[in-house]
Amino acid sequence: MTRGPQALPPSWLVMASLIPFVLVALPIGYVIVQGWQAGVGGILQNLIRPYTLNLLLNTLTIAVSVTVLAGLIAIAAAWGTERCDLPGRRWWRLAVALPLAIPAYVSSFAWSSLGPWFQEIQGAILILTFYSVPLVYLPVVAALRSLDPNFEDVARSLGHGRWRTFRRVVLPQIAPALGGSALLVAAHMLAEFGALSFLRVETFTTAIFDQYTAEFNNQAAALLSGVLMLICLPVAFAEARMRTRRRVARIGRGSARALVPIALGPLMPLAILGFVLLTILSFGVPIVTLGFWVWQGHSAGQGIERVLPALATTLGYALPGAVLTTIAAVPLVIATTHFRGRFAMLCDRLPYIVHGLPGIVVALAAVATAIGFLPAVYQTSGLVLLVYLVLFLPLAQSSVRASAELVPRELSDVARSLGKTPFQAFVLTILPNLLPGIGAALALTALQLMRELTATLLLAPAGVVTLATEFWNYTSDRAYGAAAPFAATLVLVSGIPVYVFTMRTLRLNDVR
Amino acid sequence: MTKLNRRFLLQGGVSLAGASLVAGVARLGRAADAGLTLYNGQHRATTEALVAAFTKSTGIQVTMRNAESPELAAQIAEEGARSPADLFFSEQSPPIASLQEKGLLGQIDPATLKLIPAKFSAKDGTWIGASVRTRVITYNKKMVAPADLPKSIMDFGTAALNGKFGYVKQDGFQEQVMSIVHIKGRDAALAWLKGLKQYGRSYNGNRIASTAVENGEIAMALSNNYYWYSLAKEKGAENLNSALYSFPGDDAGNIFNVSAAGMLKSSRNQAAAQRFLAFMLSQAGQEAMIATTAEYPVLAGLTSPYGLPPLTNVTAPVSPADMGSAADAYGLEREAGLI
Repeated sequence: MTRGPQALPPSWLVMASLIPFVLVALPIGYVIVQGWQAGVGGILQNLIRPYTLNLLLNTLTIAVSVTVLAGLIAIAAAWGTERCDLPGRRWWRLAVALPLAIPAYVSSFAWSSLGPWFQEIQGAILILTFYSVPLVYLPVVAALRSLDPNFEDVARSLGHGRWRTFRRVVLPQIAPALGGSALLVAAHMLAEFGALSFLRVETFTTAIFDQYTAEFNNQAAALLSGVLMLICLPVAFAEARMRTRRRVARIGRGSARALVPIALGPLMPLAILGFVLLTILSFGVPIVTLGFWVWQGHSAGQGIERVLPALATTLGYALPGAVLTTIAAVPLVIATTHFRGRFAMLCDRLPYIVHGLPGIVVALAAVATAIGFLPAVYQTSGLVLLVYLVLFLPLAQSSVRASAELVPRELSDVARSLGKTPFQAFVLTILPNLLPGIGAALALTALQLMRELTATLLLAPAGVVTLATEFWNYTSDRAYGAAAPFAATLVLVSGIPVYVFTMRTLRLNDVR
Repeated sequence: MTKLNRRFLLQGGVSLAGASLVAGVARLGRAADAGLTLYNGQHRATTEALVAAFTKSTGIQVTMRNAESPELAAQIAEEGARSPADLFFSEQSPPIASLQEKGLLGQIDPATLKLIPAKFSAKDGTWIGASVRTRVITYNKKMVAPADLPKSIMDFGTAALNGKFGYVKQDGFQEQVMSIVHIKGRDAALAWLKGLKQYGRSYNGNRIASTAVENGEIAMALSNNYYWYSLAKEKGAENLNSALYSFPGDDAGNIFNVSAAGMLKSSRNQAAAQRFLAFMLSQAGQEAMIATTAEYPVLAGLTSPYGLPPLTNVTAPVSPADMGSAADAYGLEREAGLI
């Protein structure tokens, strides 16, 4: 499908990849400069302490456990909805994807109010696992649906049992989708703050916030951010390795026959119970809590007139932000999937490293850069959109990549041989084939941008009010009744991109 | 997918992208430069009431940027002399004191400073206290009898209270540490912090800690008074399981926290900024603020409508002016392994 690394990317592609590269490099530069000011002695003194070790342990425990558990649940759920004779599979698919619509801090608040057990590290793992399941489930489902069942038939005919067939034939084929999404979850967990602020677990991210809130110590915060970036490094590159190791090839889409679903038989009640439980735990509990606030809070109804304007502003930022982020992701993805090379690889990986940084660090980097070099753009909407791009580029990359890997580069060679410029050839041949992935990328980034808080608060023009900032404003005053309508609107509106993303991802590789 | 569909999607996508970008660029214009820009970390409703009263009285427009106080302080520190802010209103005094130490604040009119007791403003006259809260113990009435409540903040560092209390390393905690340093000395403060780490439960936020007390998950928490009042407002005071407690006498655990405001040295509208600060300490300004939050006025002769116990019931040996940015607390907390 792809040629060797000797092929050079066209110049427009290089230029187009450089823009996001430079943007994403800025926060990294900021962290290094700030951290360096602490001096080598300061660095060692700050980092080599039992406290930092404890943070490291907690951070890694959460990231690894959540990733592994979410991966296992997602595979089981995907197998259930795609390969078994579960009744109402269409609906279960949506039910598993639905929790995407609920911000992590909302479900964390719901769970933490149930008791101290949920506020400890095991609670954090549970809450974040249920939050992350859809992010792994959807790509795995898409991959499962794109498999050619003939491979499995061959394995079975060679005497492999069902489990062995799964392990040796199915698993290697869904590994790129599984690995890619799992590592995205891992990077996300490293930066998670909102959900943990309701719990009693300290990680690098909460410690970074402590440095700002308690000590006004930007340098110490930068040092911790530096460690966080180092942890992200192997995560980012492991994801790339996972994909390049893929050696499953076939010509055409095969003559896919309709799959005969596996009869669950006596296991059926157990499977249904599993899906019901998953839906209740990941979706039911947070939604019921939201309703409870409205019913119980004395402040209910306050600020209700702001819901619609806040919704308009939220969309006014999230939609252009998603478009910009997706546009920036396309050249990066094409540069790495169609033309490999060290620099392309670096351009492609850098956003994943920054994705593991807390929003406050990226926002302060933007403050320093804009004030220092481009004061005219400081606290304009344009700057907010650029910071959104830096924060959420990997989400768009992973979605676009799923499409890009299915497009042979030779397509554009045909257009080139007919006299088109490289850019024309790209627009005419490659781009149309990327559309399903672009749709998924737009939906996923719009979904996350609607919840963004820190960068919006610090960088948007003064007076800008979004659903997330209003929710923060009322919960920080404990006016949960007043906060609930904003959260509920956010969940409802999120339902749209979640639906689009689910449908796009499911259709992406559909052979049926 | 057919070709027609693809073309349709492509055109649709491109026009959507174009429209969104145009919409985005159209918003690029900055807020008007007229009037004052206020970075606000205090409760938004409180500051909004204050700003509305100020604009009504002077005709000067004020644009607010709302976020957490420490984040805003970090932002102003990054902005330096180019900060668009004229004023900073912080929920606590240490964030603004950290800007004072960086030399970013301007001098406040002596006439304004004279309006309130000196202990509530910066020693060098660069920030003023705007409202007062007390550092308190929140306790669950079903779990601790009032007679059994600890008599001193120092008890919290001892095994006697093992597993019975929660603490939060933010919003008022640094002042707590500094108060103990001032009264009992550095070694006592360090031992106290180590005890806290050993015997107490750390929470990631004051609201979460006081909710834990309310729900009976823990008996007591070191906190500020207004968290309990905001919970009382949401649930109704008569329905609460938790109550507030201050130590008897002039214990190091009794502290007055102030919300604090100051003017940036780089402000291009200093005359108006000075008027705003003076208005904050006027009767109209104070009344606007205390009507929206359970905090005490800094100006004598006014009473909070929230039914707060008289401030004179509590003696606080160390004042906000003594605390500064409370940066020394940082070293101690590190030494104790708390951060």
